Amino acid sequence: MEQLIKDLKLQIKNALNLEELSLEEFDENAPLFGDEGIGLDSIDILEIIVLLEKEYGIRLANPKEGKAIFQSVKTIAEYVQANRKK
Amino acid sequence: MIHVLSANITSPLGFTTEENYQAVLSGCSALKRYEGLWGLPEPFAASLFTEEQKAALAIEGYTFFEALAIRSIRKALTYTSLGNDISRIVLILSTTKGSIEALGEERYYPSKAAQRIAEAIGLNTKPIVVCNACVSGLSAQLLANHLLSEGIYDYAIIVGAEVQSKFIVSGFQSLKAVSEEPCRPFDIERNGLNPGEGAATIVFARTNSEESWCLTDGATRNDAYHLVSPSPQGEGLTAAIEAAMKGRDKTKLATVCVHGTATLYNDQMESKAIERAGLSDIPLSALKGYYGHTMGAAGVLETILTMRATDDGLVLPSKGFTELGISGKVSISGKPQSTNKTAFLKIMSGFGGCNVAAMYEKTTDCGIQTTDKAKLVKSHTIKLSSEDGTSLTDIYKQQIGNYPKFYKMDILSRLAFVATELLLKNGQWSMVNGQWSVILFNHSSSIVADRQFLDTIKDAENFFPSPSVFVYTLPNITTGEIAIRHHLCGETSFYILHEKDETLMQQILEATLSATKARNVISGWIDAESDTDFECDLSMYNKISNE
Repeated sequence: MEQLIKDLKLQIKNALNLEELSLEEFDENAPLFGDEGIGLDSIDILEIIVLLEKEYGIRLANPKEGKAIFQSVKTIAEYVQANRKK
Repeated sequence: MIHVLSANITSPLGFTTEENYQAVLSGCSALKRYEGLWGLPEPFAASLFTEEQKAALAIEGYTFFEALAIRSIRKALTYTSLGNDISRIVLILSTTKGSIEALGEERYYPSKAAQRIAEAIGLNTKPIVVCNACVSGLSAQLLANHLLSEGIYDYAIIVGAEVQSKFIVSGFQSLKAVSEEPCRPFDIERNGLNPGEGAATIVFARTNSEESWCLTDGATRNDAYHLVSPSPQGEGLTAAIEAAMKGRDKTKLATVCVHGTATLYNDQMESKAIERAGLSDIPLSALKGYYGHTMGAAGVLETILTMRATDDGLVLPSKGFTELGISGKVSISGKPQSTNKTAFLKIMSGFGGCNVAAMYEKTTDCGIQTTDKAKLVKSHTIKLSSEDGTSLTDIYKQQIGNYPKFYKMDILSRLAFVATELLLKNGQWSMVNGQWSVILFNHSSSIVADRQFLDTIKDAENFFPSPSVFVYTLPNITTGEIAIRHHLCGETSFYILHEKDETLMQQILEATLSATKARNVISGWIDAESDTDFECDLSMYNKISNE
């Protein structure tokens, strides 16, 4: 799990061009959306959906399903662990 | 005010306006479900030309996109005569992706396509390409209104054209915006748009001796909210409608022809704006159930069809609609309604946050309405060039910083962003909403983002279309980035020219500013190939007064 979280942080940082976010400061429990946390938006969700398919073979057709999954890196990691195809 | 001399629609439903109108009247739709087309893994519904139609429209030596536009213009010109002075006629081409399949070749460039189309129909003036995402077809008409009212030309040929492709469809699919069933505008069951292809032409004149349809007024406003999501309260669209309707009697409207893409967000937003603008009682027509979203052609095609139906005393049924699925109060029906009115409003909204409203009226008022010429003063200029040896990222780090979104932008938006930041640093500006416009020009469209997006879809084994890259394959996104950053809610427009023609750019700018209430505009030339290969010449203009 720890390695998966580490991988996801790097993959998300690269896929979303979060140039100024340091991996050390990237808290896996921080909310990904809204002003409080990392501050991602709707296009970022779609890009994370692409990432999950590309890296883990997970297809998420309806972005609405994603609300619970995309709360934080931690919740994404849990979802990936349970559903990954590769 | 400018006068419609003639028009044409060339679509999968027919190659003349009349064929199209009769097909729509009989309830036909060109929308079909496609599975596996162009190697796309997900099915989609679309309105596409058949192979037979394509063969009939093709012209040897031209891309299909060019041929489609040429065919439509030639048909429109058979119904009218524009006189012998071709130096008084301008061609305005509206498209989002033009000949995108020719990426890597000279024929890719939209300005090249416009030149070839202009030559094919015998023009010698410099064509202008409008690339304002989904609103392009209305933007092109408003530009014609500005240029003709200023007396710069006597006639404008507006052609909107779009050819669908793996590029466009996979991009919209990556944004989860495409439905695999025929679209259902404003309906509770709507779940996305359908791509459509076609071309439509309107020939406008400064003056006309007979009763004719006229584009009487129009306005463009930016939401300054988000690059792809419309403002939930329809801020920009409401402002555009109010500006276009100013001083006009809404009870004269036969219909409001809506954008109605059938995405969740667009239709909901439109319903809010229509209610806020006090148009809840006016019957709507949503036409994408017949043609899908013909993108660069849509604003022209839907305007022509609405003129034709209004001439016939009809408000066209909104095909695909059965049960209201929006919260704004509107009047919409899946059945035809009769009308004796002779005016309508056309509205559209698009990526980059832009919204356009245009008013049309059938009138015998044959006079020329000229606008007062705006006096523009250039107050500041920023010139950036890679010849100075500093990369864009270095300029950002050294002189700007603190805007992490910079790294998410494509190269064109980065350049526009950096230049605007430097421009605004140099002056004391009082930002008043609605008073600021952003009008940009270039040659290469969004070529770098286009190449990047193509890289994500060209390999079937590694097919992962990137939504965040696709967004930037519309060059007007640059204007949206600036609008969002500085809360600029005025007009935002992006024009593609064959070369940096300062006279033409000045004419467009002055004509636009004369006709609008904008007092300040950020405008100039912007082209970028990479972080170390770019050119930008951006200025701040202030309108002193209309003289």
